[in-house]
Amino acid sequence: MPSGVGSAGFHLDQIINPSILYLLCVLGAAGVCLALPRKGVSPQVFGGLLAGAIGGLAMLFLGLKNPEHLPNIYFYVFSVVALGAALRVITHPRPVYAALYFVLTVVATSGLFLILSAEFMAFALVIVYAGAILITYLFVIMLATQSPGEEQVEVLADYDAAAREPIGASVVGFLLLAILTTMMFRGPTGWSPPPSVSERDTLAAMPRKIEAALRNAGTLPGGSRIRTHDETGHAMISEDGLTVRVITPDGERSIALPDGLTPTNADYLGFNLMRDHPGSIEIAGIILLMAMLGAVVLSRKQVQIDEEEKMRHAARLARGEEAGGSA
Amino acid sequence: MHDGAAGVTAAGAAASGPWYAMLIPILPLAGFVLCALCAVFRVRSKLPAWITVGLLAASFAVTAAMYSTVQGTQITTVFQWITWSWGSGPGQSFTANFAFYLDGLTCLWMLFVTGLATLIALYASEYMSHEAGAGYCRFFAAFCLFVFSMACLVMADNLVLLYLGWEGVGLCSYLLIGYFYKKPSAVAAAKKAFIVNRIGDLFLALGIMLCFVHFGTVEYKEMFAQAAVYTKAVSAGEIEKVPLVAQLIAVLLMIGAFGKSAQLPLYVWLPDAMEGPTPVSALIHAATMVTAGVFLIARTYPLFLISEYAMPTVAWVGALTALLAATIGMAQFDIKRIMAYSTVSQLGYMFAGLGVLTSVGAAAHVFTHAVFKAMLFLACGAVMHGFAGQLDLRKLSGVGSMPGWRIVNVAMLVGSLNLIGFPVITAGYWSKDTILGEAFANPSMQGVAWILLLTAGLTAYYTFRVYFRVFVGPQSYEPGEELHAQHDDKHQGHADHGHAHDQHAHGEKSGASHGTHDFHPHPPGWAINTVLVILTIAAFAAFWPIKGTSHPSHLGYIGQMMDASSAAYDPHHDAAMYQFAAHKPAPGEPRSHATFFGFDAHKAMMWVSGFVALIGMAIAYFLHYAGRTSATHSRADSWLPAAGPLANWAKHKWYVDEFYDFLIRKPLLVLAHLFHIIDQYLVDGIVDALGWLPKGIGRLIRPSQSGELHGYAFGMAGGLAVILLIVFLVTN
Amino acid sequence: MILSNPLLHTLAQSGFPQPMHSATLAHYLVVSAVMFILGLIGFLTRRNLIIMFLCTELMFQAAGIAFVAFGRFHLDFSGQTFVIFVLTVAAAEAAMALALVVLLFRRKETLDASEWKDLRG
Repeated sequence: MPSGVGSAGFHLDQIINPSILYLLCVLGAAGVCLALPRKGVSPQVFGGLLAGAIGGLAMLFLGLKNPEHLPNIYFYVFSVVALGAALRVITHPRPVYAALYFVLTVVATSGLFLILSAEFMAFALVIVYAGAILITYLFVIMLATQSPGEEQVEVLADYDAAAREPIGASVVGFLLLAILTTMMFRGPTGWSPPPSVSERDTLAAMPRKIEAALRNAGTLPGGSRIRTHDETGHAMISEDGLTVRVITPDGERSIALPDGLTPTNADYLGFNLMRDHPGSIEIAGIILLMAMLGAVVLSRKQVQIDEEEKMRHAARLARGEEAGGSA
Repeated sequence: MHDGAAGVTAAGAAASGPWYAMLIPILPLAGFVLCALCAVFRVRSKLPAWITVGLLAASFAVTAAMYSTVQGTQITTVFQWITWSWGSGPGQSFTANFAFYLDGLTCLWMLFVTGLATLIALYASEYMSHEAGAGYCRFFAAFCLFVFSMACLVMADNLVLLYLGWEGVGLCSYLLIGYFYKKPSAVAAAKKAFIVNRIGDLFLALGIMLCFVHFGTVEYKEMFAQAAVYTKAVSAGEIEKVPLVAQLIAVLLMIGAFGKSAQLPLYVWLPDAMEGPTPVSALIHAATMVTAGVFLIARTYPLFLISEYAMPTVAWVGALTALLAATIGMAQFDIKRIMAYSTVSQLGYMFAGLGVLTSVGAAAHVFTHAVFKAMLFLACGAVMHGFAGQLDLRKLSGVGSMPGWRIVNVAMLVGSLNLIGFPVITAGYWSKDTILGEAFANPSMQGVAWILLLTAGLTAYYTFRVYFRVFVGPQSYEPGEELHAQHDDKHQGHADHGHAHDQHAHGEKSGASHGTHDFHPHPPGWAINTVLVILTIAAFAAFWPIKGTSHPSHLGYIGQMMDASSAAYDPHHDAAMYQFAAHKPAPGEPRSHATFFGFDAHKAMMWVSGFVALIGMAIAYFLHYAGRTSATHSRADSWLPAAGPLANWAKHKWYVDEFYDFLIRKPLLVLAHLFHIIDQYLVDGIVDALGWLPKGIGRLIRPSQSGELHGYAFGMAGGLAVILLIVFLVTN
Repeated sequence: MILSNPLLHTLAQSGFPQPMHSATLAHYLVVSAVMFILGLIGFLTRRNLIIMFLCTELMFQAAGIAFVAFGRFHLDFSGQTFVIFVLTVAAAEAAMALALVVLLFRRKETLDASEWKDLRG
């Protein structure tokens, strides 16, 4: 890649031969199609294997053409797990298993996030998705499933046992995939990273973090505190990013920052979220509140409250108590 | 166009007329409004009739005042009506004022229009009394509106205002023919009258347009001035002929006149128009409206004089119409219908008179005819009124000698004598004689003259056929259908002359009656009798001032009035611009005159026409009176087979209606069906297809709206895939 | 050459994640795309309402991967921020949708999406 990062982008055929890509898409479609649940003898396993193999092959091809930029080996592990689990999500006839496979997808995805050094998002994903949303799903699955009779073996509902139009859906899906990947690779020119983040500024915005780090390192004299800017309240870090101004009882002076003191992913994200998009946060909160209210209102069971019935019920209760008492 | 308006300087320098001339149309218009208000306030008395009579009498008085003051040509402008210009050059502006052109012609016409309208309104006050209420108001409102329209037509200062009046009288005619709108035949007759009139009106409108195109004006004064220029130029030999376009104007106006005045080939509506109440027949379809065509030609006489085609056509069509209608009239049994054909025939006379260049004779005949024909109709109406709608001359006899019918009898006799032109003592004699004499005096009009003479004889026959059968002879009658209708259903459909017979159906047995019903003819009341008396006196007295004075063809005061009008033309002294080709004189010379077997045509005719009338009368006497013992049968009936099929054809009106039906109505019907099919399948088909297209598309794509979530999801995903594929293929 | 940008140089020195090569980005995008398509196919083929919603979550997930990968590539945290919002919306949507599913199930005792055709034209 002589052209280097981004500035010129790259073309599809620099990564993968288009015809191979399209062949993979066709095979993938066939695999998914076979893997989808259907009535009678199901070639699901074969289909799943085929689809998985296709996925692996795709990754291989992607990697082979650019050996110097091969991603981390964990990338392959996580993505194979994520995609395999995703395949199972859509192919497993039983909703509970599908939901559990989805959890696996989420976990694998958070692994990918970790590789992308988005730790916060990885954790948030596991907590919110696997922890909250999926639990809700499981509850709903339990709520909305007809309970089988005691003797009967649980049978699959008709609508779970067979997918509808697997061929059509697969064709559409993988046609879309083929086009998407093609477009993506030839994409807009200049995916160059904009110089938008400065470590020094982010760090300076967190004087308490610096103070804590200095204290831990033991370089901050007793009774001292970080000198902050009068207006912004930021710590004053030197141009080269190595020292910070502190106010000691003796007077103001510069102290070297401890090694390895850098903003974490959560720091960056926090600033981005809270400083750059405060309104959006509020709106997101309102959306969540509304969703909660809505869910409560919608799923509340409509009980016909009949005054007479209520009275009778009360009377029955009273009699029962009496009966219980007498017994 | 040289030399301006030299030819009509006297008339051209029109002084402004008396202001009160505008009252003549305004008073009837007020009457119309008041009668309409009467209808609104549900007046059930005879108030509308008295309003009408009063206002029309006032209008007549104003007309008389106007006649006594107006000298030459005067113009009274009421208001600026249409003034429109799109340039400053000649012919780039259009002016049609609501103005009145007052001359002798206007005075003559307005005198008999308002006078007769007054009298007939008085007559109708009694005649229509059974209609008291909304129908009465409607009748008199339309009556007043008619007089207003007629006044506009006659007094107009330009062709556009004339056209307004022309259409107005047509409308009123339609309304009044269809007065008994519950009677299908009346409705059909009204439609027929209106539609046939439309044909003529189309040509009149075209004539007016051409007039504007050619002369650049529709005002008479200007038009006549320019026509006079042509006349001068031709008589001075400066131009060989008047341009064809200028001649065409007269032809178009002529066809318009034919429609309104019921001339061949557009006469068929007038006999059917008798479905209207009799006063309407008398006023509109005998005396006034139908003479509008004659008036139009007389008014635009200068334009006709420069057209070498229009005048002979007018003469020939008039003569042929006179003959045809007379032959049909001979074979009819419905007395009102006979009078209708007689009207058509006499109108033919008037046209022939105009065509042979005696505008004086034509105008005089219009005048006398208006009086005596109105009288005849009113007399017939009285009979009809008294005999429950009986009009069949085979079922009535000796009416004149019944008690209470004397005045009607006298009126009928005087009217008939006038109609046939009984020598010397009747006004009709003088006016008809003038036309005949002038026709014989015209060397190129000998054919017309002989036809007219024959018609005179026929007229005498059929007129007295009615008189001898209905008014004299043994007393006998059968009531008409309305009696039965009254007995059958007292509330439904007062058909035409249905009268509230209960007032006189109380008992008195009528020995002469053939009917089983207790029917007693009821003689006319004071209003009808008064009107008949006045008209009788007028018709009888009218000949004194009319009869020949200085010259046999110069009919006294009518001659004076016509001399002071646009129709002024003396065939004996004026250097005739217009001549028939074979007898065209050298420029400046007077016209050559024909003689009647060596005698002066005018003088000869005074004898011959009277003689012919007497012969016709004698034949009628012989065939229909002498020796007749019953109403139903006369000598004519036994002699009828001798006439062969002719009598039958005449009875069936020469099958003209059937011929028109076959020639015009049927093809039009086929065409209409064709258009209907085209309309239904092609036009509607296109429209329907426009409606069906979205419907079909909707039906086609409706399955896509299955309501299934998957379907929509598929649509989205597949659509996205297709769009992206297209983008991909295009950008590749 | 990569380090020619002084800011990136500083970042590299201070232990900030190294810029990512676009070829590496492509791997993530492919994973994202495949996952999205799998979700889509699942949505199209499965008839169980709950699984269909699960598939939409899968598609959210795929979008999240793409966001984070791009954010990483561009060294911009807006990508991650956006994923937070996606997460929020997904949670809200899940709450609402599942409530509706319960409601629908109560009506017809089935989770078959084909049973609900009231939008039929």
